Amino acid sequence: MVQMASMRFTLGLMYTPELPLRTNLTEAHEASWQAIGEPGAFWTGPERVQMVAHARAATNCKLCEQRKAALSPFAVPGEHDEISRESELPPALIDAIHRIRSDPGRLTRSVFAQVIAAGVSEAAYVEMVSVINSSVIIDTLHRSLGLSLPELPEAREGEVSGDYNTEAVDRGAWVPVLDADQDLFEPGMPRVPNILRSMGLVPSAVQLFFQTFRPHYALANIPLSISQAQAEFVAARVSALNECFY
Amino acid sequence: MRLRGSGEQEGRDYDLSVITADTGDGGVEAGDVLRGLTEAAIRSEWDLLDGLRADAFVSMGVQETVDALTVAAAFNGITRVADSTGIPLDDAMAEATTSIRAASGIDQFSYAEKSARYDL
Repeated sequence: MVQMASMRFTLGLMYTPELPLRTNLTEAHEASWQAIGEPGAFWTGPERVQMVAHARAATNCKLCEQRKAALSPFAVPGEHDEISRESELPPALIDAIHRIRSDPGRLTRSVFAQVIAAGVSEAAYVEMVSVINSSVIIDTLHRSLGLSLPELPEAREGEVSGDYNTEAVDRGAWVPVLDADQDLFEPGMPRVPNILRSMGLVPSAVQLFFQTFRPHYALANIPLSISQAQAEFVAARVSALNECFY
Repeated sequence: MRLRGSGEQEGRDYDLSVITADTGDGGVEAGDVLRGLTEAAIRSEWDLLDGLRADAFVSMGVQETVDALTVAAAFNGITRVADSTGIPLDDAMAEATTSIRAASGIDQFSYAEKSARYDL
């Protein structure tokens, strides 16, 4: 039995005391989980929580499984599983959520275009991307550590803010992005990471996602027990598995 | 692709081609263990991961195993942000990473290429 008693960590409500997780990570996850349940810029708290439920449903969805096995992800028609059919969210958005969760490597512009054609604004799409992928981080960590998934966030009533960045620009992404310095700095990376820029249309989406992500990783001098090279190896392998260009 | 950057800082030359290959540690310490943990986590092979994690606790250490999975979880989210928004490399980044992208084989994942390949 490996001894962990001497390690200095505290645990938040989402995690059990079985594994050593750093306080800043557990606190960030608690805060993000609560934030998902609150009204956002374009989606209400209940709608944001529904998005997480759809993302979870995608992991056991028969249609998603069939599509993932098909040569083209667009060759298999059908309906997603029951929880999705009962949703109040636009079907095109639910379909996008399922695809993001189950087959991210084969997402294409047409998936995004279908959501927009259904009347969802680009900014609302960006907010969904942030909510879903924040929950993916939290759920993946739980499952990876052998923990049960946390209960869905508590949905809070309230008005959406409607806040978005009116100065976002077209840089060839599917959505307008944050207009920022593209010069490279010492580690050979842009001063403002492109992933941050990609959600820059909705500042609260950037805040939610990076609040969740930041305790997991750093570009240099990573504050973890594994080396920077080991962390980069893991990160790069995930990128390859998810067919991510970054 | 920060693996090359880490190698340069450490004075080591990691083999980037293993990133898109089915095997290989690329010269990274405990790379095979890290690969197994990462692939099981991202492929949702939870039963397999239970065993690999227990083995890694012994071979690599509890904290090291948890931290490796912490990084994997983060990138399981952030890669989806890129995949969901179709953001291209900006010009400076594209120019700076030409050889890295060729060595690792990730050019095939460009969003313009994937849209052309998969959209019916």
